[in-house]
Amino acid sequence: MGDSLNKTVKLINLPETIASCWHTKVRVNLYPEKFLCLIECNTDVLVEVCNWLYSELRYRFASLVVEDQPEKWLLRYIFYGASEGGQVHILCQLSKTEKIIPSISNVVHAADWQEREAEDLFGLVFEEHPRLGDFILHEEWPEGVNPMRTEFDSLKPYVHREVDPEWRPVRIVQTPGAFMMPVGPIYSDFAESAHFLLETVGEDVIRTIPRLFYKYRGVEKIAEGKSVEHVILLAERFSGTSAFAHSLAFCQAVEDIVGIEVPERAKSLRIFMAELERFRHHIGAIAGICSSTAMAVPASQASILEEELLRLSCALTGHRYLFGLNIPGGLSIDFNNDILKNIATTISDVLQKLSELKEMLCFSSSFLDRLEEVGTISRERAVSYGLVGPVARASGMIRDLRKVLPYSGYEKVDFIVPCEQEGDGYARLRVLFSEAEQSAQIIHQVAFSLPSVPVVSPVFSMVHGSSLGWVEAPRGAAFHWVKLGEDGRIARYRITTPSFTNWHGFHLAAEDFAFQDFPIIMATFGLSNAECDR
Amino acid sequence: MNKWVFKGLKTGIKTTLYPDKEETAIGISPGLPRGKQTMGDEAQVVSRCPTQALNYIEEMISVDYRRCIHCFRCLRGIHNPVEWDKGYEWAVSIKEIDDPSRMLGKAFGHSIHIRFVDGGACGACISEIEQINKPYYNIHRLGFFITPTPREADVLLVAGPITDHMRHPIKKAYDAMPTPKRVIAIGTCAISGGIFGPSFASEAGISNLIPADIVVPGCPPPPLSIIHGLLLVVSRKPSASLTSPKSTEGRKTL
Amino acid sequence: MISPSNFFILFLILCSLVVVLSVFLPDRRNPLFLAWISSIAAILILWSSGNVLLYGRPFQIELWTLPFLGTLVLQMDRLSALFVFITGLVFLPVSIFSAEYMKKYFSRYNLKTFSIFYHLLFASIVLLLIANDIFSFLLTWEIMSILSYLLVNYEHEKYENTSSGYLMLAMSEAGTIMAAFAFLLLVNGSGGLDFASLKSASAGLGDSSRWAIFLLSFFGFSVKAGLVPNNIWLPKAHPAAPSNVSALLSGVILNLGIYGILRVNADILPVTQVGLGLITLFVGTVSALVGILYATIRNDMKVMLAHSSIENMGIITAGIGAGFVFTASGYSVLAGIAFIAALYHMTNHSLYKALLFLGAGAVDSSVGDRNMDRLGGLIKVMPWTGLFFLIGALSIAALPPFNGFVSEWLTLQTMLQSAALQSKAVKIVFALCGAALALTAALAVTCFVKAFAMSFLGIARSQKAEKAVEVRRSMMIPMGMLAVSCLLFGILPTYIIPVLDHTITHLTQESVVDELVPPFFTVAKGDPKFNEAFVSEFHDIGAQTGRNIIPGRGLVVLHRGTERNPVVFAMSTPYTLVVLTLLLGGTFILIRVLTNARKVMRKPAWNGGIRRLMPEMTYTATGFSNPVRVIFEAIFRPSTFDERKETIAEHFRTAINNERKEVHIVDRSVFQPIVRGIQSIALLLGRMHTGSVNIYAAYVLFSLAIVLVIQWFM
Repeated sequence: MGDSLNKTVKLINLPETIASCWHTKVRVNLYPEKFLCLIECNTDVLVEVCNWLYSELRYRFASLVVEDQPEKWLLRYIFYGASEGGQVHILCQLSKTEKIIPSISNVVHAADWQEREAEDLFGLVFEEHPRLGDFILHEEWPEGVNPMRTEFDSLKPYVHREVDPEWRPVRIVQTPGAFMMPVGPIYSDFAESAHFLLETVGEDVIRTIPRLFYKYRGVEKIAEGKSVEHVILLAERFSGTSAFAHSLAFCQAVEDIVGIEVPERAKSLRIFMAELERFRHHIGAIAGICSSTAMAVPASQASILEEELLRLSCALTGHRYLFGLNIPGGLSIDFNNDILKNIATTISDVLQKLSELKEMLCFSSSFLDRLEEVGTISRERAVSYGLVGPVARASGMIRDLRKVLPYSGYEKVDFIVPCEQEGDGYARLRVLFSEAEQSAQIIHQVAFSLPSVPVVSPVFSMVHGSSLGWVEAPRGAAFHWVKLGEDGRIARYRITTPSFTNWHGFHLAAEDFAFQDFPIIMATFGLSNAECDR
Repeated sequence: MNKWVFKGLKTGIKTTLYPDKEETAIGISPGLPRGKQTMGDEAQVVSRCPTQALNYIEEMISVDYRRCIHCFRCLRGIHNPVEWDKGYEWAVSIKEIDDPSRMLGKAFGHSIHIRFVDGGACGACISEIEQINKPYYNIHRLGFFITPTPREADVLLVAGPITDHMRHPIKKAYDAMPTPKRVIAIGTCAISGGIFGPSFASEAGISNLIPADIVVPGCPPPPLSIIHGLLLVVSRKPSASLTSPKSTEGRKTL
Repeated sequence: MISPSNFFILFLILCSLVVVLSVFLPDRRNPLFLAWISSIAAILILWSSGNVLLYGRPFQIELWTLPFLGTLVLQMDRLSALFVFITGLVFLPVSIFSAEYMKKYFSRYNLKTFSIFYHLLFASIVLLLIANDIFSFLLTWEIMSILSYLLVNYEHEKYENTSSGYLMLAMSEAGTIMAAFAFLLLVNGSGGLDFASLKSASAGLGDSSRWAIFLLSFFGFSVKAGLVPNNIWLPKAHPAAPSNVSALLSGVILNLGIYGILRVNADILPVTQVGLGLITLFVGTVSALVGILYATIRNDMKVMLAHSSIENMGIITAGIGAGFVFTASGYSVLAGIAFIAALYHMTNHSLYKALLFLGAGAVDSSVGDRNMDRLGGLIKVMPWTGLFFLIGALSIAALPPFNGFVSEWLTLQTMLQSAALQSKAVKIVFALCGAALALTAALAVTCFVKAFAMSFLGIARSQKAEKAVEVRRSMMIPMGMLAVSCLLFGILPTYIIPVLDHTITHLTQESVVDELVPPFFTVAKGDPKFNEAFVSEFHDIGAQTGRNIIPGRGLVVLHRGTERNPVVFAMSTPYTLVVLTLLLGGTFILIRVLTNARKVMRKPAWNGGIRRLMPEMTYTATGFSNPVRVIFEAIFRPSTFDERKETIAEHFRTAINNERKEVHIVDRSVFQPIVRGIQSIALLLGRMHTGSVNIYAAYVLFSLAIVLVIQWFM
């Protein structure tokens, strides 16, 4: 109780503090019941305000939402407090004739890729951003056509342009004799499509800039104008391995807009399912790390556990990846308490086998050799790039949305957030094991303390409004910002995924390491291109 | 090193006996809706399908598997749901039965090399495809291998609605394969675009780009149905049908 | 029959004629004229020396008698004849090549002077090789040095060329002075200045003089031969010179250093101390290793070939050193084998190095760039140059059935023969040097794979490389001649070894041809050396195939041992060539027949699905040789300077650039300390120059006093 009071106090003081610094230039609105503070400012003080919020008050950058409204551009910078909770949205308006806005990437580096995405998809120019262009839309896309603008027809296939024969990829290393090793977009056995140019002078990879967005399906655009029932299907399916988490974030955003209260049982079951998904995802990531170092037996052991969990999910919910469970207001089906308790016991057995695997791996020196001190990210870098998820926690950055911005009843669940300091591949592996343990433990807690109330709230209708939904997905923090129009359909849907945030920082780990370590570093990150590319 | 050998031996054999025996474990497949005769108000279920996979023709509810995205809205929250089929042999060959280029031929029966290409798939299809190389399903025992280069591949597995940026690489991969070659489209997205296509960034499946020989519907199709597709391409298993009931298969074009 | 001496005189007349005529010919006609005349001159000299070499009729010409200096004598014995033959073999194709190649200097430099210098150099080299007394030797040596400097510095407008040429001249003069001192010591106690009287008087020289003469002459001539530590002029001189002059430099002039070493230390004053031989062996091995290491990491074609010349000279010297050790220990048969290996390698090196330099010249004149980081894909536009360069690369990498294989193999085998020696310490030195030579052979393969692949294969890395065209036929023919001779010298070792044997019998007093080339074709029954059992054993494995058709002693190089170890080493490159041809040809035909029914489709290479493979995405020469750079970092000691990481606001890195500089290990360990030492001494002495006249007067008085004191004591 005292804690929440502290949070509101901090947040409540914001308007005075801001007013004292920039009195005429910003306008502050405070919504204490939502822990939300809205700051409207002009473009000339934007960088200062963001800098102050980020460096002084230690708020973290979550997302940049750009809306193409009839007379103006509306930019919304979403920050949230890492220790105090609460969200701060900075709103900035640009008239349609101006298209230049100052870039905050030099100050808040986590905004780098968000601004590049806005430039590619909307056509806004962020001043002083040194690397605009060739991000989401690749070199065959015509100049000046921006898909996220309202006048762009999302159903029409785009017109291809002949690629300029002089076009060259960006080249950072200019030592004489340096060259780039191209990897992808089709490579390896089952790798997702992405293109890497590893710049090297022969042995070590000096610089690698991934070229992603080969899997860009334009989810944000095709969601516009569709009903909530339709868009929840999109939210589940754009990243199938964290389907439940993303659909949960979307549902929470819609529930917040409509203002309905989700029943307790639904909240607990949502925790159950989310942790089940996290458990399965982490085991899959561990299997991926073992197979990237070519250790066949532990990879097989972890894969066996992963398949057992998939079959368990299918037996419980009807789908191996938990599709079709979340609906705004609760869950679509209810479960028998006894069955859930049995499942919790099975999960404890799986955890037991996982712990045995962990013990054996800790003593495999050839395995650890490939992970220790390989792909290191220092804490300062992790903080400045705003990394999230197990990757950040392995570098000493404890930041878990389940603790910082508790949702869906997590404030009542007892668990710890594991953290390591070294920031190398082995630290990330240890974090994965510890989090899996915590997930199993949460599942057990929840299964044995389920309230018996309905699993879904009564039927309601959509209203117009906008809100932020967030979730700690298996790979890290995900933010879904939803705006419903007058007709109750989606007007703007913005997704910031943990893979997007972490791919931004991937090059920090892959630089200055040998080419052979590259697939292992990728496996320890456990990122999904589908989630990043949307 | 010997501790790993003992660990492996202690864990025992987990591999499924399919295709020699039916797999009966729980949770191996989400199942698919089944078409049926009906009349009157049962047809309301047809309107619940977001991708128009359910149709009401001639007093029959027919399911077009090429569009089913496993949202379960025809099964849940409704007082007369469709009937559900819990099988997994879903792969369909879309060439005529007397087309000589239909299958790969006897020489490939126990030895094919597979190249998987990701055309924008969400992680679920990729995860299911990865499972076929893992202990529970293990395609090596069937003689199927994954190869990282299309030059040595006989079969191209494609998943995902083909995104715009992946059109060129997939075409190049297909051209780089030596004949005879076959293409298997995995997942509803690769057949009809699923929930993403057609749009400015995705195609409506792979058929516009390269000819697909076999399709495996599902969102995602479980590993056993992917294996069924591979067995189908070497004629070791018969084909399923694109729609249910089979008689409505006349409408083959999307 | 015109005698060899008459041929030789004809040659001299031709050269002088050319020198005079080229003054009057216009520039445009000069290269062609030069090519014709020097080719004819080369043929003449080949005929002349070939006669002496093969038929053993040395000739001697006595020139003028100078007062106090004795008679100037010219004599071509078999040793000189070998070197003159090699000179002719290299000058012939280089002259033909020059016809087209010199055209690129047409308006910028004076082609007449080139022609004059070229022929004068040719004449001086031949005269040097047949000079038989100290005065004419030193005179022609100086003339040769100066002329080679003038030719190397031909493009004198570029600053780096003049400084390289100057360095070459300075070091050459230093070496000449050391050699002159050696000759001075030799003259002590001898009647006249000619080599014959020097030789007869040499028996009486004491141990310390022998050491002094050896060290002075060895290190003096090693400058010209390009051995460590006197090799730093080589990598600078080669890229400065026009390519045909580089071919001469590596193929002919470096041999003159070896000639000097052999003439003084094997002919006039044969080595009798094992220690001296070990020094030669050691210097040779170190040169070989250092040479090939630097060759592997260099990207400029001609610099790489220059370092490779150092390596090959090192191998030759190592062979000679082994020969010295065997002679000093009394194993004259093994010494003979060692010398044959060394001289064979020298011949081979002249051939393939000239070929490689001509190839580099062809690439340079066609593309305009020699840096392998900017070449690539040339085999599509220059197929013949690529083929000949490939043959040169295969030869220098010592791959059968080309000539490099035979000589490298023989050299390594002689290293192994050290097992016969008594002293353990010597055997250990031989073992280490043998291992080091094996390492250089492996590095040589790396180096030339990189040289060929980066220049000719792959895709073009620059605009110039894309637009290159094949050179004209007059430039291809000499390369073809050299390539064919590389092959011939590789598959006909059993004909060349007897010729070399005649040459070294003079030095070791024992013929070793029987030890190396058993006469499988000509053996008579009841021959004491080759009994029936032995011959029939080898007959069973085909050593007598072709006995009645092919002339000569046989086609197998074989060295016999004792009863327990009947064959110490054996090989046969002609049979290998036959087998290789049959296997490759047979496989090719078989595949064609078997797959006749199938269609072959040609598609572009699979590159992961990217739109277009760009030159930046292919391996560069620097990247290819990076592992060598990393492994041998202790030798290279690269120092990174100017490491610039341009960033914007700490996060956006826009460029990473670092320049690496490497100082050659010889410079670092030998010359820079000496220079620094001399500079510090000079600084110290400089304090004497105070500028005050009184102090200088005091110096004069002081030195006068010392002289008086000394005089008083005497």
